[in-house]
Amino acid sequence: MAPLLEVRSVVKRFGGVAAVGGVSLALEPGRIYGLIGPNGSGKTTLFNCITGVDRADEGEIHFKGRRIDGLKPHQIFHLGMGRTFQVIRVFPELTALENLLVVTTAGYAEAERRARELLALVKLERLGGEFAGNLSYGQQKLVEFIRVLMTDPELILLDEPAAGVNRTLLNELLEAVRRLRDQGKTVLLVEHDMKVVMGLCETVFVLDHGEKLAEGAPGVIQADERVIEAYFGR
Amino acid sequence: MKRWFPVALAVLAVGLALYPLQATGYGVRVMLQLFMWVALAQSWNLISGLTGYVSFGHVVFFGTGAYASSLLIVKLGWAWPLACLGGGVVAAGLAFLIGWPCLRLKGPYFAIATLGLNEVMRVVVSYYEGLTGGGNGLSLPTLDASVEIYYAMGLVAAAVTAVTYVIVTSRFGLRLMTIREDEVAAEAMGIDTHRYKLYAFLLSAAAPGVVGGLSARDQGYIEPLSVFPLIMTITMIVMALFGGKGTIWGPVLGGFVLFAFQEAVWAHFIYLHQLLFGAIIVAVVLLMPRGILGVLQQKYNLPRTI
Amino acid sequence: MGVLITPSMIGQVVISGLLAGSLYAMVALGLGLIFGVMRVLNVAHGPLLMMGAYTTFWLFQGIGFNPYLSLLVSMPLLFLVGAALQRFLVRRVVDAPELSSLLLTFGVSIALVNLAQLAFTSDLRAVEYLTGSFVVGPFALSKPRLATCGFAIAITLGAFVFLRSTRLGKAIRAVSQSREVAQVCGIDVQRIHLITFGIGSALAAAGGSLVAVMVAIQPEMGQVYTFKSFLVIVLGGAGNYPGALLGGLLLGLVEQLASLFLTAQVNEAVAYVLLVLVLLIRPTGLLKGRV
Repeated sequence: MAPLLEVRSVVKRFGGVAAVGGVSLALEPGRIYGLIGPNGSGKTTLFNCITGVDRADEGEIHFKGRRIDGLKPHQIFHLGMGRTFQVIRVFPELTALENLLVVTTAGYAEAERRARELLALVKLERLGGEFAGNLSYGQQKLVEFIRVLMTDPELILLDEPAAGVNRTLLNELLEAVRRLRDQGKTVLLVEHDMKVVMGLCETVFVLDHGEKLAEGAPGVIQADERVIEAYFGR
Repeated sequence: MKRWFPVALAVLAVGLALYPLQATGYGVRVMLQLFMWVALAQSWNLISGLTGYVSFGHVVFFGTGAYASSLLIVKLGWAWPLACLGGGVVAAGLAFLIGWPCLRLKGPYFAIATLGLNEVMRVVVSYYEGLTGGGNGLSLPTLDASVEIYYAMGLVAAAVTAVTYVIVTSRFGLRLMTIREDEVAAEAMGIDTHRYKLYAFLLSAAAPGVVGGLSARDQGYIEPLSVFPLIMTITMIVMALFGGKGTIWGPVLGGFVLFAFQEAVWAHFIYLHQLLFGAIIVAVVLLMPRGILGVLQQKYNLPRTI
Repeated sequence: MGVLITPSMIGQVVISGLLAGSLYAMVALGLGLIFGVMRVLNVAHGPLLMMGAYTTFWLFQGIGFNPYLSLLVSMPLLFLVGAALQRFLVRRVVDAPELSSLLLTFGVSIALVNLAQLAFTSDLRAVEYLTGSFVVGPFALSKPRLATCGFAIAITLGAFVFLRSTRLGKAIRAVSQSREVAQVCGIDVQRIHLITFGIGSALAAAGGSLVAVMVAIQPEMGQVYTFKSFLVIVLGGAGNYPGALLGGLLLGLVEQLASLFLTAQVNEAVAYVLLVLVLLIRPTGLLKGRV
């Protein structure tokens, strides 16, 4: 079976520095992947290249067998890939419900049904009419998470889903991610919280200074000397 | 709260409709101008208030509409109502031409591009003297149609407000607002921001084009300096900002209030007037960026349909 | 139009272009610094230039002060004005959505222009100090233009030396590259914003003082410089300070070249068309910049 997402030797430079200097990886469908690395290792840049926010200087990115580097973010979204952001990017002056409605092109009735369904999933049904900017940090995080699910994407990229989130909420999120995997979806998450990564991900990629340092099951990665060295002092 | 508003509106509408029957010619002219400003402020709001893309040269659509419709009247003998609609179409066409490339740009770049656009159109119009009369201006056949134009302007102002209402209460409008809130996130969520910005820009150019034509018809004479002046853009912006950009009735409120202010101050103290407008813009941006209606909306948790 | 273009005409154009371009470069550098450091497009840049011009005029008119020496007055004066604008107005919207700073500086520019109208009236003023040209072979070198160019180059080079070599200059460059990192390195970002706005205004004022000798002074004279400065920034690449130098020279050249083929009226459109072309083709500028 062909990989769902293939990143081939992608390079992205800013000024003279290569934030991502030749990274390759492949994601099989129906698994949970982790992307870790010290600060500045290029994780978010790689995410941005995959989702079309940044344009890779070299290399290719293929999604569902189709080349996507060079496409605009909204086009990639409609191919079946969704993402969340490191810094929450809900639309503050839209209500939680509206945040979900704008995403889909489905008919209003159907969109509203699905939106309410998702809100109920994360126990936010009562807050649909609240302006997203007025919600708590954790609630906004959940809204951003379910917003990605509105169009039922096959690949979901989560940028630091655990950041600033309390234990209870975190467990809910992780459960949700596992359920997504069980439904056949693929998840790639960038995360600093090692416990989350080790407990959730089946395969982990390690980036350091813009290059892929290691790849493998969490237990293997944890024991890898090079990885430990890259994180020296943490 | 909700009940009396449509009733008050209806009463106002009837009052305005009956006004010309017992007003002086001067009175009609003044009100006609008020309608024009409401239409202009409302149009600026469509692009700058909803999507957050500030247009610094919006008067270019007014001037283009004025010239397009006047030429249709003078050279092709069109009746003025049709010619004015033609002016709106031409203005929208210009918006498409300029918007297609320029809306790809980030905020400041777009803003400056629109500023330059106004100057270019003024130069272009002056250059093609044979066609437009250049600096000597263009005269229209004499016609006293102030009352008809009053109604036409009123209709346009009402139409733009209605369009704004429809947009703000639809998903199309929500998507426009996401561009203002967070364009990167909007793109990531599958919204083709370029296309939506372009639609908004086209819509925001049509009404100025039409009222430009109407105004030209009413004045009977136009010249480059009179229809492409920066002060008109400034006034549009102040009105929309003051009343509440991004709201439906904000530009209407701003239009009424600042028009009254303008009538009082302008004729006598032109530079003071413009200075005050500049100061009002600064004050609004610093103290109440969402305008009067925006502040009320937040304070009393009013729905977006205000 | 059937005009025969001779090599000496081209040469004249190149020279005039470079002379004019050096002024554009200096003024644009001012705008570029403010934009690069604070991401604020200072629409009031032109009016600040205008205030510099009036400073020179009134000093000349009042006490016969040498226009070129008045740089020593106009630059510090407008530095203070710019710093005040930043401290009391612009600072409050630096972190707000971009359109806030756009509208704010727009409002400020309207206010400044009309203050000038009220204070000085729209009567055209002139500083008759230096006229005539040196004739060198087939070329005419306008004296005021030469002087302007000389001072503009000196000031611009001074600015670059300042940016490159002094601690403050390096701090400014650091903030324009990354505000967060600069803060982490202990740089007082607020102070840098204040000083940068002051410097940007001083450069605009210098431009005003220099053109005061050449053109008619009136309250609206600065508007076109805001636009052209922005164009230069776009040409050279936002955040790319040496790029502003190249962009300015390029603009000067293109304008003078266009004047050979087009009427004076249409010339005004040249800058705009150039802007749209560059924005379409290479929005990051001719040299690498950040959009």
